[in-house]
Amino acid sequence: MAIAEQKLTSTAPTTKESFQWRSWLATVDHKKIGIIYIISAFIFFIIGGIEAMLMRVQLGTPNSTFLSADLYNQLFTMHATTMVFLVVMPMNVGIGNYVVPLMIGARDMAFPRLNAFSVWLFLGGGFLLYLSFLTGGATNVGWFAYAPLTQTQFSPGQGVDYWILGLGLTGVASIAGALNFIVTVLNMRAPGMTINRMPLFVWMNVVVSFILIFAFPTFTVASIQLLFDRQFGAAFFNPALGGDAVLWQHLFWFFGHPEVYILILPVMGMISEVLPVYSRKPIFGYSFVAFSGVGIGFLGFIVWAHHMFGTGMGPIANGFFAAASMVIAIPTGVKIFNWIATMWGGDVRLTTSMLYAIGFISMFIIGGISGITLASPPIDLQQTDSYYVVAHFHYVLFGGSILGLFAGAFYWFPKMTGRMLDEKLGKAQFWLMLISMNVTFFPMHILGTEGMPRRIYTYESGMGWEMWNFIETIGTFFLAFSVLMFIYNVLVSLRSGEVASNDPWDAATLEWVVPSPPPSYNFLHIPHVTSRRPLWDAKYPHTTADDHHGEKSAPSQIRYEYSHEDSPGAKEIHMPTLTFMPMVLSAGLTVAALGFIYINQAILGLPIRTASYVFVAIGIVMVFYAIRGWVLDSRRDSPYLGHH
Amino acid sequence: MSSSAGQAHHGEAHQKPLVGSMGVDSRKLGLWAFIGSETLFFATLIVTHLIFYARTSNTLSSVGALELLDPRLGYLAIELTTVLATLLLASSLTMVLALAASKARDWKRFRIWQLATILLGASFVGGQIYEFIHLYHEGLKLAPAFEMHLSHEAHKALTALNLDPSIVRLKEAGEHATALVPSLFGVTFFVMTGFHGLHVTIGIIWLIAIYVKVSRFPESPENPMDIELGGLYWHFVDLVWVAIFTLIYLI
Amino acid sequence: MADHDSAVTHHEEHHEAHGTGFYWQVGGVLAVVTAAEVAAFVYRDLFGHVTFLTLLFILMFAKGIGVVLYFMHLRGDARIFQFVFIVPFTFAVSMVLGFLVLFSHHVGIAG
Repeated sequence: MAIAEQKLTSTAPTTKESFQWRSWLATVDHKKIGIIYIISAFIFFIIGGIEAMLMRVQLGTPNSTFLSADLYNQLFTMHATTMVFLVVMPMNVGIGNYVVPLMIGARDMAFPRLNAFSVWLFLGGGFLLYLSFLTGGATNVGWFAYAPLTQTQFSPGQGVDYWILGLGLTGVASIAGALNFIVTVLNMRAPGMTINRMPLFVWMNVVVSFILIFAFPTFTVASIQLLFDRQFGAAFFNPALGGDAVLWQHLFWFFGHPEVYILILPVMGMISEVLPVYSRKPIFGYSFVAFSGVGIGFLGFIVWAHHMFGTGMGPIANGFFAAASMVIAIPTGVKIFNWIATMWGGDVRLTTSMLYAIGFISMFIIGGISGITLASPPIDLQQTDSYYVVAHFHYVLFGGSILGLFAGAFYWFPKMTGRMLDEKLGKAQFWLMLISMNVTFFPMHILGTEGMPRRIYTYESGMGWEMWNFIETIGTFFLAFSVLMFIYNVLVSLRSGEVASNDPWDAATLEWVVPSPPPSYNFLHIPHVTSRRPLWDAKYPHTTADDHHGEKSAPSQIRYEYSHEDSPGAKEIHMPTLTFMPMVLSAGLTVAALGFIYINQAILGLPIRTASYVFVAIGIVMVFYAIRGWVLDSRRDSPYLGHH
Repeated sequence: MSSSAGQAHHGEAHQKPLVGSMGVDSRKLGLWAFIGSETLFFATLIVTHLIFYARTSNTLSSVGALELLDPRLGYLAIELTTVLATLLLASSLTMVLALAASKARDWKRFRIWQLATILLGASFVGGQIYEFIHLYHEGLKLAPAFEMHLSHEAHKALTALNLDPSIVRLKEAGEHATALVPSLFGVTFFVMTGFHGLHVTIGIIWLIAIYVKVSRFPESPENPMDIELGGLYWHFVDLVWVAIFTLIYLI
Repeated sequence: MADHDSAVTHHEEHHEAHGTGFYWQVGGVLAVVTAAEVAAFVYRDLFGHVTFLTLLFILMFAKGIGVVLYFMHLRGDARIFQFVFIVPFTFAVSMVLGFLVLFSHHVGIAG
């Protein structure tokens, strides 16, 4: 302890530079890109939260006329779409972007420009999705967009087209990002950082990236087919013309179920980083935690039809998908037991981050158990499309993903900003959020079993649903207040929070070696790693555990860095130059997608049709211009051309 | 995808600037993973086509009209598709020869094989456009029904079956007779092969870009890797056609 | 097929496992397999349906394997490339088979 505290006292010299738009908009630095992801996702989190509150106000009392049925439908569709695609996914990607290269001892992602392209394209997709509110109404068909409701005769506006193309853009961004993570983690590790020494957060990021590149293409194809239905009368999913509505469900959930693991696994990785640090113990059963993540990822691909028991697939299919779904409880249980065993007998420090991590475990268990009940076809047939399902996925997505993301936020905020968040305020926020989320979401179990269907915009009085609905609405307001507390905490801490040292939590992984916030090149000296806890072993050599070969290894060759942008030697490090091309490319694709939405709508007049062609043409020109510039940029930065 | 900073800044790897912790080139690893992802993209398109084709042929079989109206045998011409498959296969061969020439730093030979690849690819796309136009005139459209021209005997045989008009609707105008069959065959076929054609087109643009770049900077050390990456993508596009050729045109 | 360039072959040393002649041979084999596929299709009435399908699948996989192993050089290349291609390919084949089963209209599977 004493050694550690001695090291903690001095702080990194900070170079204060004035804020420059260019340095952000043209950035290829994984840390800045990570911050852009995090801030955008948080803004979308607030928007999605406001949508949720509007719905809860509507449902707080029976026969409410606060919202129209159509607006309510738009809100629940956009709430889900936002939270899944524009909040949890980019927040995971953003934190991963910031932390993963640091954790593996790299100076950036493998493809910095592709990384910038991903973040701008994600924002382009989010922009299209929200633009639809202003152009005649957002999509109102639910986030899984079941056929045939999505066909033009039932959804005549452009909302569904905006949804398809908006998600298409974020999908391309996600695939590009996932490829980047895969190559970074596999090919950019520091010397000695073997696969079996990687932090578990890195493990889960690479698992999720593989899930993503396997699952997303199916959704891309299905949504393109839906677009052909709507724009060119193709009828893939239109039963009236020989299409198949159930095919959409299979294609969607073949992507949709792996998608929920895309949402939760990185957060499980965060928890696996946070718990050992605040328990001052190594993670219990590292290999089991890592490989149970792989197992969950694999099983996630053979359970998709448990979302479809209501379609009446027949006993053999039902039996298979029910059994496979229940098997997922095993690797998930392995993880939970390992987390608990990590805390067991540890020197537990109940920091805000640790509280959120423990909150994650408890709430995720509730959501997991209700999930197992839903894996049983007879129970599912009773509960499907009821508030019981809504309760289930809010326990795993809010109680799981969001609480876990707050654990990660409090843990890594000092590294990202150089300032500590206020712990007292944070703990108060944790308790308020934990209680109010249970007040909001637990009664949904009861309402669901009492028969309240999901996706209804109002209900008659006298159904026996008034009390619980009212309590849920109250809970939402406290939940919103707890988020406001966090925003206040961030704003105040950024200005006047305690200055963070390199390693404020006495942690074990490489991101805590470098200054907070790290210089653009991350590591002045690339560390040489010899164990799973390189920083810990360097700080406390006498406690170095035997490695898995039973031999005591030499501590990793790392030292605290107090480097900054002007450190001697920093100039020698070649980093890729600023470029606007990734942003131009993303903008071009967004403009072309926007034009494509109106390319063949029979109801529209000639001017709009012409404008749509112009948009598509401009978009394509921008794409070609950007690709050309991109190639020239990358040639300028080429490692071959005299930079050594 | 065509470029990246690669390991422009990877640590103290002066000796081996190209190779990362996995011992491979980053761009090549990224491209292989992307190709892996694309297999699922095309698998989804193919399975959609197979499901709807099976449905059409089941319906037609159940009324005894499959012999006369099978859209695959009625529309897809084995001669044309064999030519297309051969063009693409030949372009794969010329591509790998271009790569071998580049590794031997024989830029003249590289340019010949690369141009040959581009031309063969362009002929494939041209052949596909011809096929699409031809099919459109034959009555196979991007619409949930196809309208097949019938011979006199076929028309007679179908009339004798006295079919439910929701399965087959016969039309006769003068000497020409057609059968209108509700089926997604045209939709799934055009979308699937169209997306493959789009991939071929992107591949051609990519190969042209490589050709231009290598011609302008023949001394750039990264040329063989640039060519190898374009080639990998090109071979994958050929690989998809290997599957489509058998699963769609022959079975 | 055999007339490859002797001018190029002497450059194919250390890492390059195959000369250009080898690629011509692979190309020739693939052309023969394609011809066999077309022949099988033209004379499909001579086989039973199952034999015909089996034959086509064998020929298709032979062609695909030829392209992947030799044109894409997956054989003898780094194992990680094999991993990132073969795993999703297996997923893709399983997905196609799974969907065909689910849409086969067998009682118990599809209603």
